[in-house]
Amino acid sequence: MEVLREKVEEEEEAEREDAAERAERARTEKMMRQVEVRKEETTLTQEMLRDLEKKLSEIRIPVSVEVPAFTKDTIDISMLPVSYKTNTSKEEQLLQLADNFSRQYSHLCPDRVPLFLHPLNECEVPKFVSTTLRPTLMPYPELYNWDSCAQFVSDFLTMVPLPDPLKPPLHLYSSSTVLKYQKGNCFDFSTLLCSMLIGSGYDAYCVNGYGSQDLCHMDLTREVCPLTVKPKETIKREEKVLPKKYTIRPPRDLCSRFEQEQEMKRQQEIRAQEEKRLKEEEERLMEAEKANPDALHGLRVHSWVLVLSGKREVPENFFIDPFTARSYSTQDEHFLGIESLWNHKNYWINMQDCWNCCKDLIFDLGDPVRWEYMLLGTDKPELFLTEDDSGINNEDDVENLHSWVEQIEISPEAFETRCPNGKKVIQYKRAKLEKWAPYLNHNGLVSRLTTYEDLECTNILEIKEWYRNREDMLELRHINKTTALKTDYFKPGHPRALRVHSYKSMQPEMDRVIEFYETARVDGLIKREETPRTMTEYYRGRSDFLSYRHVDFGPRVKKLTLSSAESNPRPVVKITERFFRNPAKPAEEDVAERVFLVAEERIQLRYHCREDHITASKREFLRRSEVDSEGNKIIVTPDMCITFEVEPMEHTKKLLYQYETLMHLKKEEKLSRRQVWESELEVLEILKLLKEEEEVHTLTISIYDTKRNEKSKEYREAMERMMHEEHLRQVETQLDYLAPFLVQLPPGEKLTRWQAVRLKDECLSDFKQRLINKANLIQARFEKETQELQKKQQWYQENQVTLTPEDEDLYLSYCSQAMFRIRILEQRLNRHKELAPLKYLALEEKLHKDPRLGELLKMFT
Amino acid sequence: MNRLYTSLEPRVIDDGMLKLAVGEQRPQEEAGKLAKQEGILFKDVLSLQLDFRNILRIDNLWQFENLKKLQLNNNIIEKIEGLENLTHLVWLDLSFNNIETIEGLDTLVNLEDLSLFNNCISNIDSLDALIKLQVLSLGNNQIDNMMNIIYLRRFRCLRTLSLSGNPISEVEDYKMFICAYLPDLVYLDFRRIDDHTASVSLSVSQQAPRFLGKGKEVAEAKHHYSIEELKHRENLMQAQMEEEQARREELEKHKTAFVEHLNGSFLFDSMYAEDSEGNKLSSLPGVSELLEAYRDKFVIICVNIFEYGLKHQEKRKTELDTFSECVHEAIQENQEQGKRKIAKFEEKHLMSLSAIREEVEMPNIEKMILECSTDISELFDALMTLEMQLVEQLEETINMFERNIVHLVGLFIKNVQSLMAQCRDLENHHHEKLLEISISTLEKAVKGNLDKDLSEDVRALFVDKNTIVNAVGASHDIHLLKIDNREDELVTRINSWCTRLVDKIRRDEIMRNRKRVKEISLYIDHMKSELDNLEYSDILD
Repeated sequence: MEVLREKVEEEEEAEREDAAERAERARTEKMMRQVEVRKEETTLTQEMLRDLEKKLSEIRIPVSVEVPAFTKDTIDISMLPVSYKTNTSKEEQLLQLADNFSRQYSHLCPDRVPLFLHPLNECEVPKFVSTTLRPTLMPYPELYNWDSCAQFVSDFLTMVPLPDPLKPPLHLYSSSTVLKYQKGNCFDFSTLLCSMLIGSGYDAYCVNGYGSQDLCHMDLTREVCPLTVKPKETIKREEKVLPKKYTIRPPRDLCSRFEQEQEMKRQQEIRAQEEKRLKEEEERLMEAEKANPDALHGLRVHSWVLVLSGKREVPENFFIDPFTARSYSTQDEHFLGIESLWNHKNYWINMQDCWNCCKDLIFDLGDPVRWEYMLLGTDKPELFLTEDDSGINNEDDVENLHSWVEQIEISPEAFETRCPNGKKVIQYKRAKLEKWAPYLNHNGLVSRLTTYEDLECTNILEIKEWYRNREDMLELRHINKTTALKTDYFKPGHPRALRVHSYKSMQPEMDRVIEFYETARVDGLIKREETPRTMTEYYRGRSDFLSYRHVDFGPRVKKLTLSSAESNPRPVVKITERFFRNPAKPAEEDVAERVFLVAEERIQLRYHCREDHITASKREFLRRSEVDSEGNKIIVTPDMCITFEVEPMEHTKKLLYQYETLMHLKKEEKLSRRQVWESELEVLEILKLLKEEEEVHTLTISIYDTKRNEKSKEYREAMERMMHEEHLRQVETQLDYLAPFLVQLPPGEKLTRWQAVRLKDECLSDFKQRLINKANLIQARFEKETQELQKKQQWYQENQVTLTPEDEDLYLSYCSQAMFRIRILEQRLNRHKELAPLKYLALEEKLHKDPRLGELLKMFT
Repeated sequence: MNRLYTSLEPRVIDDGMLKLAVGEQRPQEEAGKLAKQEGILFKDVLSLQLDFRNILRIDNLWQFENLKKLQLNNNIIEKIEGLENLTHLVWLDLSFNNIETIEGLDTLVNLEDLSLFNNCISNIDSLDALIKLQVLSLGNNQIDNMMNIIYLRRFRCLRTLSLSGNPISEVEDYKMFICAYLPDLVYLDFRRIDDHTASVSLSVSQQAPRFLGKGKEVAEAKHHYSIEELKHRENLMQAQMEEEQARREELEKHKTAFVEHLNGSFLFDSMYAEDSEGNKLSSLPGVSELLEAYRDKFVIICVNIFEYGLKHQEKRKTELDTFSECVHEAIQENQEQGKRKIAKFEEKHLMSLSAIREEVEMPNIEKMILECSTDISELFDALMTLEMQLVEQLEETINMFERNIVHLVGLFIKNVQSLMAQCRDLENHHHEKLLEISISTLEKAVKGNLDKDLSEDVRALFVDKNTIVNAVGASHDIHLLKIDNREDELVTRINSWCTRLVDKIRRDEIMRNRKRVKEISLYIDHMKSELDNLEYSDILD
């Protein structure tokens, strides 16, 4: 079969060859011409360039309106460095090499599309694709792994579709430009991602190939949102314990086996029907969800990233779609074919048949039959790896490709903001995911996942909202629209140690469950469940071994006075408390459960069961009529207490014992009721607190975040100011006060005594002049101020009658300010007068001590 | 120091005094009334106060079994006695008495607080049993030897000590000394030992050499050395004890495997221990080599037996463990079922009881009560069925276990016996060889060229053939007897162990069964009586 098909293929090929060759020749010619044109272009005039530009923009297929255009018109190329605008001789050489390679390739494989080798960059300069990759290791530890890296790229850039979905683009911009404008097509995406991945040590390649429609349009509406996928519960297979040697035989089973079998059969039938029905339904759903067939299936050009196994402990080759940051296996059916791939060192052409998508491709780039490489020297990545280990000097001749792209830089602000404008929306199948940058929303919302019931996304099923940096530690809010149940999840650190709070309304005494971080609470409360009539609390780790308390409330007694939940608690009907086993006590004295039937005035005790027993002791105290109106006085009678003891004991029969137990229980009952009341109060308080938090929602700011944290900011600024001042002072001290005078003298010569004396005199007189000038200046200002004030006063006296109160106020404030200024000037003048002689003397002293003048002057004096 | 006998007559603790004291110290008010009504048993009393009563002799306290706190202060007691039965005592106050020696406290292992303040004690001892002692008050006594402090080192829990008013508290570095020797102490003479003092004494004891030559510190440096020495000695003692313990345990383990003393030449040595003829004959030329070879072979077999025994012991142990584990599991499972049944029943029962209480129609009530009682009997049936089922299952399992263990033991005995037979063969072989040598020596003796260096009593054996053959035979008999004895001992012991084990298992099972049946019937009786009571009360209503 194989041979036959090959033969047929050969024949077909031969037929095709003629036509193809012609076409190919035409194409190469065209390309040659293009190259020529390009060569000329460098020397072309502006006019012609504009012409070409116009032509090119005419050629461009009009893209849909809502897609943000990312053309070179919008790019400011004036600021770009030289390497962007010209080609070095090496690059020229490389381009020629590439052209040559391309020609050979098109000659050998005339039926394949031309290679994507040297697209134009933003300055209309052709650049070889491998040099467009700029391996960079990002300074953010979050970007060290491929998944976070890919997520970042997909979040950071806005997707622009290819101008022609069937052809690779004519332009491939540098990553720095792409990052600057935060937009790009799939080639830009994969170039950036590939640069980052290679930088952090992955064996990553940019791929030029064909993808499905969804992939090319970044259409996730047919994908299930990864956040909605529940982690598959790993079914723990109960390991069958081998029956031990002495395991007792089970009692004989006396059921009819026949009946059982019949029952089983019936069950199976029902199940089969059910399954069938489910399957049909599923199929129907699948049908509905299936996309309409794509006319251009297999022709749509896409670019993605291939990561080969080996480096960074990657166990298996995989693809990353840079748009969605999802990883796919190399067998995934979204990827329909590979034309070529490249990294920063080399370029490979796929010579394998892609009739079965990428499923049969073998990514052994060292195999020249499957992968045609372009540059020598890096033909075997495996080989290169070993060389890389042995010595770096090989690197020079191997890595002759120097990227023309500037270092990829992402500012911390941009990194934190991530998405353009800090917001991003992704539409999934029956789900919508919105993302925001932290601190963008004033309530700390960072992402929201809305799940819908139907494909058209109209009926909301549930909403999940993630928060960050909230002061109340709220992390996730889950709203179930069908049951109207809200569930809030808190991180540790809430002032009330809240962990989970699920509720339907914020009104007290309604259905709600509050879970706590019990280690943060003194009373060891884990969970409190409430319904309108009951409250259940679960405890752990208490010294009194209380584990559970259930309270039944009765209807509230109507009071005429204004009553709230706080002032008028509901009457307690019944309190049930359960305790863990206290190992210090014998089981028959350790209470397991006690029930206070408040209304019936009964107390029931159930004790723990001893290890080798099946019954537990019980005790019931009735005190129905035995309490008189006075209060405590109880006349104990033997029939007040009904006791069942597993092992009857002597001392417990005594009335004294019963009396003491009863008294103790009465006290405990009071305590329990008080605790119940306190619990109710706490719930009210928590609700109040939550409401307040919801209204205020303050966000916490780390003290290391000097941009947002006001205090840190102030501190930092103060530090900076201080540094600056310090710097200024240093500069000042370095200033040579003799320099202007020394300049007049011939340089490099030693001063004569006469010169020194003159220098000194000049310096002193100069300083004197300065002092006088300063005094004059202050004097002048003082006078000016006084004059102005006088003028103003004059004006005021003249117009006093017609002035409005505001003007008068203005005048008064001016006056006081002017007076203040005058006073200050006066003070300064006085001070100057006082200090000037001193300063003069100080300078003289200093001049005497100056090493350059000192000796000569000393000789003189 | 001793208070003089006052004009009051010394008294003895008698029944009247005790009743009075108990009566005075009973709870007050309503509870007191109740207590009076019912009377208080001495054994229910937890705390007793007998102070200022001029008691001379402690007596008649044996009834207070559960007493926790006993105060006998301010009496004229001269001897600590009569407290042997009060093993639950936690607090004992014997202050302000005339006691001269500490004694009679050996059974009070739970004692935590002991006060012997203001007595005439001159030596601290006889407190070894009080391992939980936390507070010891020995102020105002006659203790004058610092070495008494060292005695207190053994009380790991001791935190509070008072020794003021003793001759030793006059010593210059009394405080330092105590802090250094009792590092865990927190309170001394009613004052907290401040960290400074502690650290000083500690640093002194640790870095003593640095302070050498500085008056006071020299003394502490001395302490340092003596403490170190003391510690060393204590450690040595500890190690020795541990070693002893380990050895004992090892032997115990071997004994449970029934092969003790078989891991060496013990048996062989014992064979020759009582064998005078054999020892005499060993001096014959050639016999010593023979003996050596014989001994080696014998020891090898012994060691074989020993190892085999240990191995089998392990096997028996795992067998027993699996058995008890399985039985335990079965019982647990059964109990769980029973508990579930009871819980279910109780739920239903509670409902129907309240329903009965609500109900007013007499015929209805009767009907419901009838229903209830049928429920109770159903529960009884169910529980009993469960129990019987378990009994049957366990019976079967126990039988299986017995079969297996008996088989194991039989196998062990058989193998040991075959090994022992090897020993016996060796002995026979040796005997023959020895006989040969003896005969040849005899021949030599007859010819008169016996070795000169043989001792007289050996020569005495070589008078005629009968004597020498008898001698060799006697030696041989002794050896065989020893081997037989060892073998018999092993076999009887393992057999008795086996029967005892099986007996015990059966007995335990029977006990368990009886207990459970009793429990069930008690419960059912209670339920029934409750129901009856309800009936009466309802009828009365």
